[in-house]
Amino acid sequence: MAATNYDVLIIGSGASGGMAAYTLTKKGIKCLMLDAGPPVDVQNNQVSKPAWELPYRGLGNPARLPHVVQANEYNANQWVDEKQVPYTHDPNSPFNWVRVRYVGGKSLFWSRMSFRLSDYEFKAKDYDGFGDNWPISLADLAPYYDQVEPIFRVRGRKEGLKQLPDGNFIEDTTSWSPAVQKFIGEASKRNIAVTKMRSSLGRGQLASSLNLLLPDALATGNLTIIPDAVVRDITVDKNTGRVNGANFLDRHSSREMHAKAKVVVLGASCLESTRILLNSGIANSSGALGHYLHDQFYITQCVQAVMPEVRDKTAPAGYASGGGYIPRFRNLQTKEKDFLRGYAFDFSAGSTPDAKFFPLYGKALDDALEAHRGTGFSGTCMGSVLPRFENHVRINKDVTDAWGIPVLHIQARYGSNEFNMAKDAINTMAELCRACGWEVLARHDQPLPPGYSIHEVGTCRMGDSPKTSVLNKWNQSWDIKNLFVVDGSSFVTAGSQNPTMTILSLSMRASEYLAEQMRKNEL
Amino acid sequence: MRRRRFIQALAAAPAAPALLAQQPAPAPAPEAPEAAPLDFSIADEGADPVSKFFSARQFATLKRLCDLLMPAAPGSPGALEARVPEFMDFLIGDAPVQRQQLWLSGLDGLEYQSQTRFRKAFADTDATQADTLLAPLRQPWSFEPPNDPGARLLAAAKQDVRTATFNSFERNMAASGGKRPRGGGGLYWLPVE
Repeated sequence: MAATNYDVLIIGSGASGGMAAYTLTKKGIKCLMLDAGPPVDVQNNQVSKPAWELPYRGLGNPARLPHVVQANEYNANQWVDEKQVPYTHDPNSPFNWVRVRYVGGKSLFWSRMSFRLSDYEFKAKDYDGFGDNWPISLADLAPYYDQVEPIFRVRGRKEGLKQLPDGNFIEDTTSWSPAVQKFIGEASKRNIAVTKMRSSLGRGQLASSLNLLLPDALATGNLTIIPDAVVRDITVDKNTGRVNGANFLDRHSSREMHAKAKVVVLGASCLESTRILLNSGIANSSGALGHYLHDQFYITQCVQAVMPEVRDKTAPAGYASGGGYIPRFRNLQTKEKDFLRGYAFDFSAGSTPDAKFFPLYGKALDDALEAHRGTGFSGTCMGSVLPRFENHVRINKDVTDAWGIPVLHIQARYGSNEFNMAKDAINTMAELCRACGWEVLARHDQPLPPGYSIHEVGTCRMGDSPKTSVLNKWNQSWDIKNLFVVDGSSFVTAGSQNPTMTILSLSMRASEYLAEQMRKNEL
Repeated sequence: MRRRRFIQALAAAPAAPALLAQQPAPAPAPEAPEAAPLDFSIADEGADPVSKFFSARQFATLKRLCDLLMPAAPGSPGALEARVPEFMDFLIGDAPVQRQQLWLSGLDGLEYQSQTRFRKAFADTDATQADTLLAPLRQPWSFEPPNDPGARLLAAAKQDVRTATFNSFERNMAASGGKRPRGGGGLYWLPVE
């Protein structure tokens, strides 16, 4: 049986690939999807286990997943095995490349924080002169955010903030706890807005491509999914210069196969898509492919405070609970001296601080923890990282993965803009806590290594010029018009907002354009 | 159960009636009793760990340190009862060299300080003497680990020994009134072939 020549080959089944399939198949376009990982039944692939049954008592195998700070003994099997799919970096410039290889990709396990970018990001250069603007504005993407948010059932509260545009929300009607109200009061004195978290509710256990996008795409009869298909490279028709499919290896047997299609859509995640393009030797007439790698720097528990009014269970029940989000407030109306752009926080109240924050041990530590039960207030800072050409990935031909495919070498580090921003962020959060009358137990302004946020973007960026960007404003390769890249690699600048809603919206927008071009026979 | 339902379904299948009509209906077979669910133990419940990474002196230092960090309380086993020193011997023995070195040099350093200041092994120190040597644990927490290897070990041990004690079979057994604890914990993501 000869293989079908599909209209579109989609590489990757996570948020971006899933949305491409969802959009294209509904328009009658025949799609083949390849994913490097197996299908997984999320409901039945998890079992309840007490920590004492785990071989490492919950501390985890100390030799496994050195770059995945998020890994623990319970979730260790979710992540890509770094020995099977390695990457390299300079010892002094660590990069935490956190990957998932299952059908559904990282959308199986994401934090669900669901924000729109604003024109402070899309037109960032207009505000501060650094880097480049996106070739699109919020107005271009807003109609797609409007469609994506109901699919993912984003809950939020409309606040009317220009730096955090409102969405098509399920209204969040919950109230603030008294402790958080106190915090909001101090923040508002400093013109710092506090919002409810904006989060995808999804359906059932998941807010994933696996349950929200792929089932609808399959129901059209226009989607074929091949799991366990590890793509090595994209193939090019020598006569036309157009892409015509991809070579892949079966994950289990390494059997080599070739899939044919009229159009190729890459949605394998930022760095995997870039790796495939670099290994294919295509789409890089600009020299920008692999460059401008950036993410958001994260400082988890940047400030850990305790609320004395809650100590020794003296506060009424419900006094300290819940959390919220502080969108960017720096460099909006005013200009900071030490850094460009801004940062956001999420915070929570009512937890018990970790034992490490108390300078005690033994029984004295147990007593202190008991007294401070439910008194904690802590914040995590997410800071904007400047997209810089020198932060890049390239192929390391000396190292290959388990399928013989050359791996990425990642070279990225934060600069003074990020470090100065981090200092300002932590000073601000500590000041807010003290203004509330809370004791700051610990604070630190050292970002975790690049990559930790799992929000890496920018290595296949879009732009107005084929000389400085890989993609045009439709996520279409400048060099090869039947090649599209729809994941986070297309970002020009990331801002401080989590990127998933933007990735989904870009993919939907690009796919609608692709479908229209196909209808007009212009691809 | 599934097998029994399958056999019942076969008995009800359309092919059966002709044959059944020629023979007296057999008495229904008595229900087979359900087999009791199998109950499994973990190694810690039925066997002793074999320590092999730390030297005898390091292990003695580690035991004293574990006892200080997580002492037993009424009805609540401490690190020694939870066999945390033996577990740490296994965990650190499996760890990358850098982490192993932290523990080896840290324990040696603690022993050296004890010998220098009190002319006795750390394992033999009384509470006051030991508390002097654990002074770095009274320093405020910092994101960057302390420069001093001994202080770095203490910061790491404070966290690891605490977790290993809380997550031990012995501690959970005590918390459930001496019965084998069931449930609790978290959702474990199974490996997918």
